Amino acid sequence: MEQIIKFIQTYSLLRMLLAFCCLIGIIFANAIVMGYLERKIAARIQRRWGPMEVGLQGWLQMILDGVKILSKQLIVPKDANRFLFRLAPLLCFTPVAMVFVALPISRSLYGINLNIGLIYIIAMGSINVFSILIAGWSSNNKYSLFGAMRSVAQNIAYEVPILLSLLAVVLTTSTFDLQEIVKAQSGPIWFVLYPNLFVAFVIYLIAGCAETNRAPFDLPEAESELTAGYHTEYSGFAFGLFAIAEYGNLFIMASIATIMFLGGWNGPFGFLSGPVMGAIWFLSKVFILMLTMMWVRWTYPRVRFDQLMNLAWKYLIPFSLVNLLITALVVKII
Amino acid sequence: MTESCLTDYMYILLFMVGGCLAVFLPFVIAYYLRPKTTEYVRSFQAYECGVTPFNQMWDYRFGVSYYLYALIFLAFDVDVLYLFPVATVYNTDVVSKIRGISELFIFIGILSLAIIYAWVKGVFKWERKIKS
Repeated sequence: MEQIIKFIQTYSLLRMLLAFCCLIGIIFANAIVMGYLERKIAARIQRRWGPMEVGLQGWLQMILDGVKILSKQLIVPKDANRFLFRLAPLLCFTPVAMVFVALPISRSLYGINLNIGLIYIIAMGSINVFSILIAGWSSNNKYSLFGAMRSVAQNIAYEVPILLSLLAVVLTTSTFDLQEIVKAQSGPIWFVLYPNLFVAFVIYLIAGCAETNRAPFDLPEAESELTAGYHTEYSGFAFGLFAIAEYGNLFIMASIATIMFLGGWNGPFGFLSGPVMGAIWFLSKVFILMLTMMWVRWTYPRVRFDQLMNLAWKYLIPFSLVNLLITALVVKII
Repeated sequence: MTESCLTDYMYILLFMVGGCLAVFLPFVIAYYLRPKTTEYVRSFQAYECGVTPFNQMWDYRFGVSYYLYALIFLAFDVDVLYLFPVATVYNTDVVSKIRGISELFIFIGILSLAIIYAWVKGVFKWERKIKS
């Protein structure tokens, strides 16, 4: 084990390729696992069985669906802008891969450790908006355009509360280095247990739910009014990529919440947070958060669009501004 | 610029190029696997629930409210960005208590005026803005 670690450290090119293969693998595996869980949990919440035919409890279903989606015809509508139409799925997926390289999964298991990690992740996360706008605009379909417009308005509105609630943590730790932020929580108290940061955590969860376009805020792809929103015209693997990127974004959202508020790879009371156990703690926290989002998605009805925008501008942003001021007071005085 | 910093940027470059390639490869596979005979005239129409589509999409209008929201976002988000460098030095001894707190309060106070202005002007109300 020691020798393997030393070998990888000496050959940095090998480490680079290994990190690339593992992280791309994690993104695709995450999409398959989350897709299966989503279908199964949605079914059980609605008192159905969900996929049951292929394999035990239907666990092979998503893999078969992946093969099926690969073998579908890729149709570009004749009125579409052909270049932009093909560019959008790539633009949707690449930022997800670029964010995964900066996530600290455990003390020694990470792609790279940037000293501006948080800013880098936020910047890459907001490229997603471009891909949605390009997808909606280029497919020359009214549903797509309306879906894209809603999505962009929603994403830029909810980016501000996300920034402000993460800023409250940065005020406390005064660093953007994600490893340093996790190490600052290695004591018995995670940031979520501070009252002011707990408010930031709740604001972050609500805004993150909207940022990843999930119900109850899934207005961009509201099936009953806009068929599928911005990816109405996409078929085959291009459609699959949007789904993979959506689950990737969900993973990123949950892992930032874990790193900033729930102690990252630290166990409770600093218990068993070595390199290996740290990764298990991190992944279990991320998956608990993602399952919570899934539970919320299948429990609450969709909100109306003006309610959605006003929730961001009238409630979340003023609350997070006040919370930021309180945090500033607490940090300087105590 | 140190060497480790350059390595970090090489990682980012690899993930940018490799991320594009990793999703471009399945498209190549899909190109060879796809069915080749099922092409009708209607396959390439825009999807509109089965009705033959009329007009282009840019013949339709959406509410001007989207534009107003984008304007406040522009004013707001750029200002929030200025808070990031402040946040790194705020908790250190470089900034004294009185100075830090008062400057942050003034900055955020002016920032929140943007929301109050938009609220008073009725940006957050969804009604017909242009009377025809």
